[in-house]
Amino acid sequence: MLARLARADWNRLAWPLVAAVVLLIPLVLGDDFYLNVLNFVALYALVAVGLCLLVGYGGQLSISHSAFFAMGAYASAILSLRWGWHPWAALAGAQLVSAVVAWGIGAVVLRLKGHYLAIATLSFTVIVGVLIKELPALTGGLQGLGSIPPLAFGGFEIDDDWRFYYVVWPLLLGLLLFALNLVDSRLGRAFRAIKEGEDVARLFAVDIKLYKIKLFVVSSVFASLSGSLFAHFVSFISPTAASVMFAIEIILMLAFGGFTMIWGAMLGVTALVYLNEYLAPFADYKRAVYGLALVTIMLFFPHGLLLGFRDLALRLWRAVSRRHIGEAG
Amino acid sequence: MLLELRDVGKTFSGLTALAEVSLELAQGTTMGIIGPNGAGKTTLFNAVTGVFPPGAGRIVFEGRDITTLAPEKRARLGISRTFQHPRLFKSLTIEENVMLGRHARGRAEFLATGLRLPWARREERELRARALEYLDLVGLADERQRLAAELPLGQQRYLEVARALASEPRLLLLDEPTAGLNESETEAFRTLALRIRDDGVTLLVIEHHMRFIMSLCDQIVVLNFGRLIAAGPPAEVQRSEAVIEAYLGRDDDDA
Repeated sequence: MLARLARADWNRLAWPLVAAVVLLIPLVLGDDFYLNVLNFVALYALVAVGLCLLVGYGGQLSISHSAFFAMGAYASAILSLRWGWHPWAALAGAQLVSAVVAWGIGAVVLRLKGHYLAIATLSFTVIVGVLIKELPALTGGLQGLGSIPPLAFGGFEIDDDWRFYYVVWPLLLGLLLFALNLVDSRLGRAFRAIKEGEDVARLFAVDIKLYKIKLFVVSSVFASLSGSLFAHFVSFISPTAASVMFAIEIILMLAFGGFTMIWGAMLGVTALVYLNEYLAPFADYKRAVYGLALVTIMLFFPHGLLLGFRDLALRLWRAVSRRHIGEAG
Repeated sequence: MLLELRDVGKTFSGLTALAEVSLELAQGTTMGIIGPNGAGKTTLFNAVTGVFPPGAGRIVFEGRDITTLAPEKRARLGISRTFQHPRLFKSLTIEENVMLGRHARGRAEFLATGLRLPWARREERELRARALEYLDLVGLADERQRLAAELPLGQQRYLEVARALASEPRLLLLDEPTAGLNESETEAFRTLALRIRDDGVTLLVIEHHMRFIMSLCDQIVVLNFGRLIAAGPPAEVQRSEAVIEAYLGRDDDDA
């Protein structure tokens, strides 16, 4: 009974509830500071949900999501700022650019597995970082790019926390539902089969090469879209967006929430963004603390902190109920 | 002919696993492969399913040369298999394993599943209903929500059969299906295999259990050191000198 409950499809049941709460928050909590933090939660969550699909379901560890975030941000900025595209058109164009690049990179690096794939994607992130710094004519170099035009509906510009909240959260909720639907389908099964055993999956007609590439593209576009939204909202973008540290931070968010749980990814993001806020005075130690946290979690809760706690609770519950039955008998 | 092997050979770093193996398998028949351990039986399966393409010779399936075709494409042509040591997707439920077996019959891709388009949902429902039929056939329908890893070995074999059948194969390869089963379980499995054959699926079976394979198959081929040393109907093969020698060794006094 309990095991069945634990495995039930809560995902789609929970979604409308979460959506309602999320969309009501600003009305209750008029505080700009919190809305601002929540906006960044949404931006990070977009990246994390994308990575969750790739790592948690497809089993392909990638350290390139900061690179695609930066690519989306810079492409959007360059298209709107330098080429004069409408911000929405720039945003769409940026996703196309990222998708094409992700396909090209994915087709090459996804032949690799495990640590080799991680290193190859990490190298890609480093290369993107270097390119951004070394092409100042296009990217503004180390100074970055400023005064990127905000997204707008006619004359209604999305330039404050309130307005941005109602753009980024509905988008995130929509894509969250997309991701939840995707993993609960023949594709989700195929991804999990690939993660568990590519050789056997192929014997059942799963085209592993193509699926891995397509999943990589979808996952990367989640990150790239987040970057584009970020660029138009903050109106400024700098090379730090493509840092390896950012890519690892996203992985840490998944480690907090559970690699194979899309909701867990959301919780992990929220936890980490708030930690970032409250631990700002200790920013110097951030890398050390995060590094330690990641190692600890991977050692003791390889499926992620949240799932680790859930399994622990389930085991405790079973132990307790078994003793109970024993006493009764 | 459904399947033809012409002079198929395979070496692994100098060791000959298969050499000049030729055989023909007609649609709707059942062929058994026997031979001592290390005779190349599983290598032959791997050559047919595409896990390791053969180093020499040709493999023809329904008139089409599939020698170098990728495993996922062979699966689409209608070749499926089970494993000597069950290789189920342990993190998937029993039902999901069978639904995955039917992957080739689905059409919904990223957009259709992500947006939950009506036709994709209908397809998923149909997939689930068909999976249930195969689970019924092997007697696992009631347990379909459990994880595959929770099943005992004997039932894992049945789940492997259901997963393979779900793809509606033309050719099904069974790799030592009765290993680890007792006599009554073996008999039950024979009944299932006969039923599958009667449904028109051509079977290629590796087996050590002689009574099982001799009573199930129309044709038996015998491999030894990667070479085909005998082929024919069960009764004929059982009398073959070469086979008796391969299994029991040569009597030195006669040499």
